Amino acid sequence: MMKVDTSAFLGHWPFRPIEGTPADLGRMMRANGIAHVVLSPLEGLFYIDPEPANAALLCQIAERRNLWAAPILSLLIPDWQEQLDALAGNAQVRAVRVAPTFDGYEVKACAAAAKAAAERDLTLIVQLRMEDERHHTPVLNLPPASVSDAVDVAAAARRSRVVVSAARLPELLEVSEKAAHLPNLWFDISHFDGLDCIQRACQAVGARRLLFSTSWPFFYARSAVLKVEEAEIPAQRRQALLGGNARRAFALPRR
Amino acid sequence: MIIDIHAHPGFAHDIAGLRKEFPAALRAADRHGVRWICLNAIGDWSESPKPPAVRRGNDAVLELMREHPQRVIGFCYVNPRYSEAALREIERCVVREGMGGIKLWVSCKASDKRVGPIARRAAELGVPILQHAWYNRLGKFVGESTPADVAVMAARHPKTMIVMAHLTGAGERGLKDIAPYPNLHVDISGGEPEAGMVELAVRLLGAERVVFGTDTPIRSYGATIGKVLDAKLSRRQQELILGGTARRLLARRLARGGRAAQELG
Repeated sequence: MMKVDTSAFLGHWPFRPIEGTPADLGRMMRANGIAHVVLSPLEGLFYIDPEPANAALLCQIAERRNLWAAPILSLLIPDWQEQLDALAGNAQVRAVRVAPTFDGYEVKACAAAAKAAAERDLTLIVQLRMEDERHHTPVLNLPPASVSDAVDVAAAARRSRVVVSAARLPELLEVSEKAAHLPNLWFDISHFDGLDCIQRACQAVGARRLLFSTSWPFFYARSAVLKVEEAEIPAQRRQALLGGNARRAFALPRR
Repeated sequence: MIIDIHAHPGFAHDIAGLRKEFPAALRAADRHGVRWICLNAIGDWSESPKPPAVRRGNDAVLELMREHPQRVIGFCYVNPRYSEAALREIERCVVREGMGGIKLWVSCKASDKRVGPIARRAAELGVPILQHAWYNRLGKFVGESTPADVAVMAARHPKTMIVMAHLTGAGERGLKDIAPYPNLHVDISGGEPEAGMVELAVRLLGAERVVFGTDTPIRSYGATIGKVLDAKLSRRQQELILGGTARRLLARRLARGGRAAQELG
């Protein structure tokens, strides 16, 4: 089954020796049968202006036809709309990723970004967290972004495509009723865990709303693969989750 | 042979509910080739359950041991705050009923001296203690142990085999806390599958002190096995983590257990 990893990263994480390099990414994809990856630059989460990190990412993946970019967008930067214009001109850019808690604004403010991204045929990824809050170093110390507010972003911008990244299963279950009415909303599975987590997520919001994602190099990619393999769901739903849904969520061209 | 040293039968507080929940874990274990599941039930999941609740949880595990004698090894959960009741429960569940280990959670810290009688009895019986621990910035349990607490316990009781639960919760700091104590192991359960942690545990402790455990149903079999299969380890190191280390920890007790022991041996 063709797999599209909708949430992975290149670059360096400052708090642990985590480094996502293009060579390691290639090995990870081959080992796990992943055909396409949507990538963001880790450094972009920390730069006040993520533009240099995005430029470095685009340079690293240029001409790689199976890699797609989700550059980081900071709504605190006055020219974020111009940055969006420039990014939309690159055919490898299929999304932009916002991390509201990293930048210090309310998730609801992302509705403007969702609308602006939609106007440029880009998907908005709302990153709720990067790692378990229990393990944050004191210098990071960030609460997760509100999943409910992220769902409201999709509701406020119905013509947009919104992906909620790094929700936990209980968080998904809390918003499932609200999310069920929003065909422009998807959730990645990177932080779902627990026995039957994929089945339960499918029951809560439907398999068509779920996106395979590894959160590599943060997480062992094999864990995401086996989590989906373990799920007691029909093959058609599994295929949709592993790859088919990503095509719609990111409007990926067929290659 | 894969052994899951850290699993719970479910979230229900009664055997009827747990009987409904547990088959899903068995099916997931089957899918990944997990042969033995070490089950513990944390009473009523309160921080410091009273002896009747402790006993009810252990009763449920005993039932599941009887129903799945070739799959389930019970671990006897006890609350060290009720020392005499805890020792009686160990006699009932481990000595008489053949459970393979003892589980301690968050009723008091591992460094608390009330843990002493339990640790000494575990050493006499040759069974491991599975002790919860976490470096938890958001900790809500007064009695939750840190890895440093577990290190104190290991130093006081060098003949007791201890498995500290939750590698990811321990992190780099926790691994270094426990590294000096050869009777202290870590299970890889809990937390998200943070890359590099299993390799770090092997580097600091050796694979013979790292044990596969899922914490299911809180975590999934797939995500946890993925940690081992994806880690940059030799085949021998993977085998030790997935079953070899646990077989050593459980062998002495199960050598008295008939068929289970033969299968393990």
